[in-house]
Amino acid sequence: MSGADRERLFLKNAAIAAAGTHSVSDPRDLPATLGRVVASDLPVYCPGVTELEKAAAALFPVRVDDYAAATVTVEEVFGAVAETGTIVCVSAGGRAVQAGLLPAHHVAIVRRERIFDTLDDLFAAVSGSPPTNITLVTGPSRTADIELTLAIGVHGPERLDIIVA
Amino acid sequence: MSHEQTSLAFRENTVRALEDTALRAAMKQAADTFGTKRADAFAPVADLEALRDRASAIREDVLANLPMYVDRFVASATRAGATIHRAKDASAAREIIAKILSERGAKRIVKGKSMVSEEVDLNSHLEAAGMEVVETDLGEYIIQMEGESPSHIIVPAIHKNRRQVGRLFADRLGVPYTEDPQALTKIARKALREKFLSADAGVSGANFAVADTGSLVLVTNEGNGRMVTSVPPLHVAILSIEKMLPSLTDLPAFLRLLPRSATGQTMTSYVSVITGPRKAGDATGAKELHIVLLDNGRTEILAGESRDILKCIRCGACMNVCPVYRTVGGHAYGWTYPGPMGIVLTTLLTGMEKSHPLVDASTLCGACVEVCPVRVPLTDLILGLRQRKVRDRFSNPRERLGMEAFGKAAASPGLFVLGQRLAGAFWPVVRALGGKDVAGRMPAPAKTPFRRRLP
Amino acid sequence: MKVLLFGTCLVDTFFPEAGEATVRLLRRFGAEPVFPKGQTCCGQPAFNAGYEAQARAAAEHFLWEFDGDDPIVTPSGSCAAMVKHHYPRLFRDDPKRLAKAKRAGERIYELSQFLVHVVKAHEAGLRGKGTVTYHASCHLTRSLGVREEPLTLLSSLKGATFIPMPDAARCCGFGGTFMAKLPEISCALADEKAASIEATGADTVTGCDSGCLMNIADAMRRRGTKIRVAHIAQMLAEGL
Repeated sequence: MSGADRERLFLKNAAIAAAGTHSVSDPRDLPATLGRVVASDLPVYCPGVTELEKAAAALFPVRVDDYAAATVTVEEVFGAVAETGTIVCVSAGGRAVQAGLLPAHHVAIVRRERIFDTLDDLFAAVSGSPPTNITLVTGPSRTADIELTLAIGVHGPERLDIIVA
Repeated sequence: MSHEQTSLAFRENTVRALEDTALRAAMKQAADTFGTKRADAFAPVADLEALRDRASAIREDVLANLPMYVDRFVASATRAGATIHRAKDASAAREIIAKILSERGAKRIVKGKSMVSEEVDLNSHLEAAGMEVVETDLGEYIIQMEGESPSHIIVPAIHKNRRQVGRLFADRLGVPYTEDPQALTKIARKALREKFLSADAGVSGANFAVADTGSLVLVTNEGNGRMVTSVPPLHVAILSIEKMLPSLTDLPAFLRLLPRSATGQTMTSYVSVITGPRKAGDATGAKELHIVLLDNGRTEILAGESRDILKCIRCGACMNVCPVYRTVGGHAYGWTYPGPMGIVLTTLLTGMEKSHPLVDASTLCGACVEVCPVRVPLTDLILGLRQRKVRDRFSNPRERLGMEAFGKAAASPGLFVLGQRLAGAFWPVVRALGGKDVAGRMPAPAKTPFRRRLP
Repeated sequence: MKVLLFGTCLVDTFFPEAGEATVRLLRRFGAEPVFPKGQTCCGQPAFNAGYEAQARAAAEHFLWEFDGDDPIVTPSGSCAAMVKHHYPRLFRDDPKRLAKAKRAGERIYELSQFLVHVVKAHEAGLRGKGTVTYHASCHLTRSLGVREEPLTLLSSLKGATFIPMPDAARCCGFGGTFMAKLPEISCALADEKAASIEATGADTVTGCDSGCLMNIADAMRRRGTKIRVAHIAQMLAEGL
């Protein structure tokens, strides 16, 4: 699969799973996209560790250090899987995977070269000595426990936005 | 609360269920929805049969080498920093978990959905020890509030409609009545968020345990599984020994099959792979991780003729298509596991003497076999248990006499024709003896049977 | 071509018309049906209820009666599946009979299978009338894998209209001894099936298994529905 095809498939499948999908071809366009995705007056948690996160963090006037107090988490994630439209969050590098769980809105930035074709490719890459936590996230939190009717945002985020950069 | 097994009263349970119009409507709607969603989810999978073969082969390998994989898992998980406990039976599992929790002074326990914890009746035991146990899966939360047990292994409150849930929440939580599932979900989110943040411990199950890495895999949608395993300082996982997979590279096959089979999703919202507790430099994970490996009769099942049931990955597809399950719901089966897989597992785990009517709770229509993602030969297993029921003398004595007569007649044309003639001649008597349920639903034998009409 | 006809105990005892129709069809398409006189039952009632010894006695007798190399034809998907799939299991520890059982499994045809694959009855332009729907019985569909053949035959009837039934392969609730052991569920399932049949608006419902058709006919009687229930052999033989 070519890089462009992989990204297209990933974005298509993520959208099917009810994630908001965005793509920036130049990292300098990231702030503009974030500006559209994240409301500016909400408390945002952003680790500010990677280059992309550093670029993002500067945008948010109300930045909090405690993800439990945030309404939005903006972070760069480990990778993604095109087959299922999944983003992959890992605990390596001191990351709090639950930062993408507690706030109502999760904004995940994924580098396009970190998109795996399939689940097999992902697990082949992590099967040796996995970090404490690998979480595959496909769309927002959901349930169908009442009459098998879909409801969004049970315990995890009710909104997931993915930005491929 | 504790739930006594009522499998021996299966027929009475079904009669009651059949009279419950709300239940029947809920079950019918659920079964139809499941059927469509599952079919749609699998439609684009080009090599489904090969995928099922692969998953089935992995599960067979696991069963063929189960002690080795369990040992490997124990070693890897220990290396990753988890503490492993082996529980021989339900009471050992309850004791172990209660001890872990009470030694650490845990008072408020948040729970993720776990059928194994239902199997060992964990909640009532912890509650008796003075702990507050909060089920956090929405369906489990609903039935815990109602004092019921799950009626489906994936969708525990499938037997309830939105109006019943709306009234329950209004009564118990003091919120204004609503029957909008989205609004009810928000109410539960708010109530349970406080519980997560203040919990002393999380108790979860696991869908798979990975032998090579010592990882636990949880396949979920709501996010409560992630909360339970990562927010409280202490995480206790309980799982049965057969949930092993050799390696993480075996996982994709199951991630392609399980959500599609269970809920008709291509992928669930979340898949968590947890390897040990929080380590130095980590900002994720419980500080302490205890894994309780439950046997509870599995080693014995493994050595017997019904071992293939241990291939089961608990997707629930077999019950969704089962004509019996979809008509009477899960509670009629009288124990933790309902539907075709439940017939087999309940009989094996609780004993024929406590469950023998269940083995007759199948028309052998084979719909379950057709959908099972890992090719568990459910109807063959049910037939095998029926043979055991007969061998162990749990079958009805009148039926036994009838079948013995049948065996003789089927092997002897003279007797067979005699039987046919007698049935014809005395049909009103047969009908009266057979009752309205059986002979009353059959036509009278033909005056001249086919064999005497042949030119 | 000589074929051995296995009438089945239900057809023999309760539904001889279906047996006669089977004979007429086979003859019309050039087969010479021979009815082994000592035949009884395939053993399914005992087997499905867990009485292995009694089922084995019936199976042994069947193998003796139907010995040889000729094809075996039976107007029942369920009995054909019993021979094909369960006889080998019954004789798993008896190599001589196991070989015979496997051979019998290769020789046996459910009627619609034989009519389509061996004698191409669907190309003969048989006549039919009215509107007909079809119940796909469980063992025929899922155990034998016979899904298309009955539809091929029914759709070939000139002058008849075939109306598919939603969820045609859903169990009718017969299940052999299931009907006796859990009659309440059995009736509920039969009612559901009857409702599906009624919703098609067809004037006749047909199928390839007398047990299921008997159960469906009973539900029709209970509901006071006037839809005719007929074995597929009868449907087809009427157009000869």
